Amino acid sequence: MIVNSLELMVPILIAALGGLLTERAGVLNIGLEGLILVGAFAAIVGANLTGSLLMGAVFGTLAGLALSALYSVACIELRSNIFVAGLATNLLAAGIVPTVSALLYGTRGVVRLAVPVSAQRIAGVSVMVPLAVILAAALHVFLFETPYGIRLRATGGNPQALVARALSPDRYRRFAMLCSGLFAGGAGAAVALRLGVYLPNISAGRGWIALVVIFLGMRHPLGILAGAFVFAVFESFAAAAQGFTEVPGTLLLGLPYLITLAAMVVYSALGRHARIER
Amino acid sequence: MKRLVYLMAGFFVVTSTLSGGGRAEVSEADLYSIGVFVPGVVEGSPTYEMLVAGVEQAVAESDAAAMKVVEGGFNQALWQQGLTSMAAGGEYDLIVTSNPEMPDIVEAVLEAFPAQRFLLMDAWYPGNPQVHSVMFNQREQAFLSGHFAGLVGRSGMVTPRPALRAGLLAGQEYPIMNEVILPAYLLGLRSVDPDGQVDFRVLGNWFDAGRAAELANSMYATGSHIILTIAGGGNQGVISSARDRNAYVLWFDSPGLSEAPGVVIGSTYVAQDRATYERTLSAIRGELAFGEAEVLGVADGYVGFVEDDRLYERHVEAEVRQAMSRMIEQMKNGDVYLDMSLR
Repeated sequence: MIVNSLELMVPILIAALGGLLTERAGVLNIGLEGLILVGAFAAIVGANLTGSLLMGAVFGTLAGLALSALYSVACIELRSNIFVAGLATNLLAAGIVPTVSALLYGTRGVVRLAVPVSAQRIAGVSVMVPLAVILAAALHVFLFETPYGIRLRATGGNPQALVARALSPDRYRRFAMLCSGLFAGGAGAAVALRLGVYLPNISAGRGWIALVVIFLGMRHPLGILAGAFVFAVFESFAAAAQGFTEVPGTLLLGLPYLITLAAMVVYSALGRHARIER
Repeated sequence: MKRLVYLMAGFFVVTSTLSGGGRAEVSEADLYSIGVFVPGVVEGSPTYEMLVAGVEQAVAESDAAAMKVVEGGFNQALWQQGLTSMAAGGEYDLIVTSNPEMPDIVEAVLEAFPAQRFLLMDAWYPGNPQVHSVMFNQREQAFLSGHFAGLVGRSGMVTPRPALRAGLLAGQEYPIMNEVILPAYLLGLRSVDPDGQVDFRVLGNWFDAGRAAELANSMYATGSHIILTIAGGGNQGVISSARDRNAYVLWFDSPGLSEAPGVVIGSTYVAQDRATYERTLSAIRGELAFGEAEVLGVADGYVGFVEDDRLYERHVEAEVRQAMSRMIEQMKNGDVYLDMSLR
C-alpha cells in the first residue's frame, strides 16, 4: 500500500509544488486542473509522434507551459481577476483538448499510447517518486536559500519591498506562473504515461486536490510533500479497504476528502489562533 | 411551476442549439420525426454509438422519417431539462433514449407532455401507453461473464490457487448493478466453483482511470485473477493495472477484445444497434406497441459472448472456449435461463 500511495502521490505533489510558487508570488494558479488535462493529452500526442515516453513527458510539460503563459498574460499583463482567469483556463482546456483530439485522432474520447509502457523502477517504486521528492527538496532550497526565491516570496508577501529596490514583482509572478504550468503539465504527463492512455476527465480533480494540498502543507514544499503523501495514503487505503470491510465502497471513497476537510479546518483554526496570539 | 419548466426548456433549447448539440437538419413537417436524446456524449461510448446507429439505419431505410441527435452531456442533473426541452418543442413524434436511469427522468416529462412518445432502450418501464421500453437480460450477460471468469480461474491460464476469486469493478452502485449484475456474476462463477468469491469494488464515478488502476491493483493483489470492469473511462485504468501484473480483464456491453489484446480476454455484448433499429422502424410504420416492456436475452440473440474473434482464439485455451460454447448453447436452447424481472 505504501508503494501505491507513493505513486498516487506523484501527480498531486508535482502540481501542488507548481501551485505553491504562484501562491507564494501572490497569484495562486486556479487553472491547475486544466493544465494537468492539457499536459496529459500532450504527453500522449508527443509520445505517439516521437515514439519516446521521455519526449511525451517533454510535450506534456511544454503544453502546460504554453497554457500557463496564456493565463499569465491574462492575470499579469492584462490584470484580469486570477480566479476568473483560472476558471477560464480550466474551461479552455476542457474545450480545446477534445477539439484537437478530434482533429488529430478523429475522436473526442480515448487516445491510446502507441509506445509500450515501460515503468522505470528503483527499489520497486516508479522512478517518478524519487524525482518528485527531489523536486520538493529542491524547491525548498530555492524558496528559502536563494536570493531569487526569497524575492519571489516577497512578491506575494510584500511586493512594495521589491518596488523599493527597483525590482519588478511582475517578473517573479510571471516566472512562478510559467513554472506552475511546467509542473502541472508534468503532472498530467505522469498520469497519462503511467496509464498508457488519455481519456476525457483524466485529471479527475487532481488539480483541485493539489490546490488544497498547498494549504494543507502550510504553503511549504516539505509540508506539501507530507500533505500529498497523507492524501495518497488515505486514497490508497480507501481503495484497499473496499476489499476487507463491509462499509459501503462509496462511503469509503469519501474518506480522503473527509480527512482533507478535517485537516483544513484544523489548519484554519491554528492560523486563527496564531493571529489572535500576535 | 409549469411556466418555470417551459422557461428552463426554452433555455436548454437555445443553449444546446448554440453549442452545436444538434447534429442533423430538423425534419420536414410531414416526416415522422425522431429525436435521439443521448444522456452523455456519443463519441467514445459504444452503447450510445449503437443507439444512434440503430436509429440512423431505420431512418435511412424509411423514406418517411427524419432524425436529430441531442447530446445531454455528462451532467446528469441536466438530462431532465434536455428531455423536457425536446418534448416541449413538440417537433418529435418519438424520442429515443438509452440508459437504465432514464425511466425516472422520463416519468417527470411524461406527465407534462401526455402526447409525447418514447422508446427507452436498456431500460425497464412497463405499463405506460406513451412508452415502449427494451431491457437486455443483464442477468444472463453477467452470468456468462462469471462463468467465463470461473473457467479461466480453473484453467492453465492462471497460477493454480485454492480459492477462486474474481473481481467486479463498477463505476457506481445502482439497482441493476447491485440486484442483477453482481449476484449473476457470482452465480456464474459458482457454476464452475461453488466456493468462488467475487471481490466487488466501486470507483465512485465513470471516468477516474487513475483511481480505477489503484482499485484494480488492490483486487489483483488480494487474489483476483480477472476483473469484470463496468466503469466507463475507468476501464482503461483496469487495463493498465492488468497489463502491469500480467492479469486479465473482462469487458461488458460491447466487443472489447481489441481494447488490449491478451489482457482483455473475454467480452459479452448486447445488440443495442439491432434492437434499436428494429423498434424504431416499427415505430415509423406505426407498429410499435407502446405500453409494452420487452426483455431481450441470449436466446433472442440480443445478448451474447464474443466467440468469433481471432484474439479470443489466440489468448484463451481451447478447453475454456469449448466449455464456454457449451454454456452459451445451453442458454440459446433455453436449457439455462435467468429471469431478468425487476419489479
